[in-house]
Amino acid sequence: MKKSLTSLIAFMMLLSLILAGCGSSNEGASSEEGQSEEGGVTEITLWHMEEPPNRVKRFNEVIEAFNESNPDVQVKAQVQSWDDAYSKFPAAIQAGNGPDLLFAIPDYTTLLKQLDVVQPVDDIVEKLNEKHGFIDASLAPYQYEGETWAVPVFGMVQALWYRKDLFEAEGLEAPTTWDELLHAAEVLTKDGQHGIALPASKSMATDQVLYSFMVAAGAKDLIDADNNVTFNTAETVKAYDMYQQLLEYSPRDSNTYQWGEPQAQFNSGRAAMAVEKGQYLAPFESESGQPASELGVVPMPVADGGEAGSIYYSNGIMVLTDDAKKQEAITEFFDYLYEPENYAQFVNAEPGLFLPVTQSGFDSEDYWNDPIIAQYEEQVQVLLEASENGALFGFTDGVASNIGKVAGPNFIAQTLEQVIINGMSPEEAVEWGQQQMEEATK
Amino acid sequence: MRVFKWIYGILLVLLIVFPFYWVTISSFKVPDQILQPDLWPKAWTLQHYRELLFDTPYLLNLKNSLIVSFGTMIVTVMIVVPASYAIYRMEFKGRNFFYKLILATYIFPAMLLLVPVYQLMSKVGLVDSLWSLIIMNVTFGAPFATWLMSGFFKAIPKTLDESAAIDGAGTMRILFQIILPLIAPGLATIAVYAFVVSWTEFTFASILITSDEYKVLPIGLSQIMGQYTVKWGWTTAGAVLTLLPVLIFFAFAGRYFVKGLTEGSVK
Repeated sequence: MKKSLTSLIAFMMLLSLILAGCGSSNEGASSEEGQSEEGGVTEITLWHMEEPPNRVKRFNEVIEAFNESNPDVQVKAQVQSWDDAYSKFPAAIQAGNGPDLLFAIPDYTTLLKQLDVVQPVDDIVEKLNEKHGFIDASLAPYQYEGETWAVPVFGMVQALWYRKDLFEAEGLEAPTTWDELLHAAEVLTKDGQHGIALPASKSMATDQVLYSFMVAAGAKDLIDADNNVTFNTAETVKAYDMYQQLLEYSPRDSNTYQWGEPQAQFNSGRAAMAVEKGQYLAPFESESGQPASELGVVPMPVADGGEAGSIYYSNGIMVLTDDAKKQEAITEFFDYLYEPENYAQFVNAEPGLFLPVTQSGFDSEDYWNDPIIAQYEEQVQVLLEASENGALFGFTDGVASNIGKVAGPNFIAQTLEQVIINGMSPEEAVEWGQQQMEEATK
Repeated sequence: MRVFKWIYGILLVLLIVFPFYWVTISSFKVPDQILQPDLWPKAWTLQHYRELLFDTPYLLNLKNSLIVSFGTMIVTVMIVVPASYAIYRMEFKGRNFFYKLILATYIFPAMLLLVPVYQLMSKVGLVDSLWSLIIMNVTFGAPFATWLMSGFFKAIPKTLDESAAIDGAGTMRILFQIILPLIAPGLATIAVYAFVVSWTEFTFASILITSDEYKVLPIGLSQIMGQYTVKWGWTTAGAVLTLLPVLIFFAFAGRYFVKGLTEGSVK
């Protein structure tokens, strides 16, 4: 007994030593991060929230290539989660553990700006714009209060995806109006198949798809530059009414759907349509067993009296450091990143989902030579066309500095929940949504 | 009546086992079949496992999870055993208060502590260190484990301690030579509990770790699932491989765990 006890204690001590070893190596790594310069090398920490391994790998390849060609600068990318962006990031930044560069979407920039750490990037943007030409829609949401608060890096737009095989079987054409969309959804719902798959959970996925319907209904102005909420309009009610009708042809568990589930229903052939961004390209052939040519996409169908368009937003990179040496290094990094061959490699980390935001990027052969982009060139052209009519809530009627307070709690999706869970009419729900948004943005 | 028992039993097993079966079987389906509701794959592939192991940081995440889980397990046992001994066997002022205080730690939801814990860890330089996860897992796991040990200590007659003391044994000797062997199932119980708690912990792991090289499995798997789109093959293969270490651990220590739960604290 004594022997086994001694062995147990020895084993525990050994493991403790191993763990202690792991701990000390970690501490070493942590302490290095705080240093801006070591041996003449300027270290830049970049946080991005593009978590899938293929995106991480591609971003790292571009960054490593930059580091190799610029030995005086070392950019270190760290992957974070959007789930932590609203809780962890502000705490980390205020505790001095934040990054020098941080990925953002427009409404997130308005929130983070309130911490007084976001640096204007007008000089960087002006220089890049002269050389590469930013698409206006990508830049505008980051320009307010006389400054530019992030460098747009790639755009995303929603469109209506449809299964050509299922449409052809019913003799249907791709819908361009809401009447055609509703008709197609009705006809295609049969024998365990659904006409469309829509998210209806309290999530950003639902917010975005619903907003595309709002844009198409003519209700894109949800809040103005003075943070006056203009959500409760006849057009918004029309969008919710349409969404409610379409949910009749969407799977019964749609109220749990976020990003992945509609795509799974679509690729498995159990749903004929879905509204989403360009992430539908890459896995279509392998998951559906159908050739790439069977993947149909058209711009968002338009309501009577509505306007062509859908949600479009650019992801940007914010500069959080005010260290002059680091800012100089960051400028070098951006110069490198937007060179067409590097930019094409970066943007095609997720081909089709990430769209170029510079003219030189659009024109680059490297972009179009990506295997997925080349295979789905026709579909990518539709997405680029849809980008021209893109809109983003909070940035259509000037820039609403409080839009983050509407986007964060998913009020657009919550309003839908009032219809499908609490049984409110679209009119009542939209009125409820208006009140919630007003309260949040006071 | 017997038939109903069987039907009920089979239904219960199906209810519990089916999700695991479905995930496992899906992980072996070829990509164009993975979204089809077939109960048996039409064609088998190891593609998802190969990609998971070689195209994702799964193995790195696995290594980190093993370090954190075994670390948590060891530290928890080292803290809980003397703590339980003191609370359940020794007489001192405020003993009841400490016993109740341990359970009171459960009134704080982890979410409320996120920001203060982050700031604290930042001040002591433990952000982005596996030690921070071990500390947090022990902090949240040790109180319940201490409470879990009460049944085991109560099951051992105090006369044993007294006899040993009369024979000249000191407190530490009584603990290590007399009590410890008798509470072996209890040790296994808290070891398994600490391991499983830290194996699945997500919240603090997502907050306290920023570098890819220290990310643990729950975080790694959520990244593999992807934003905007889900890699179903990697997700199902990852789920199966993540379950395996727990199953292996349970195969060795599970019977003590069950025995511990039924014979220990419930008594």
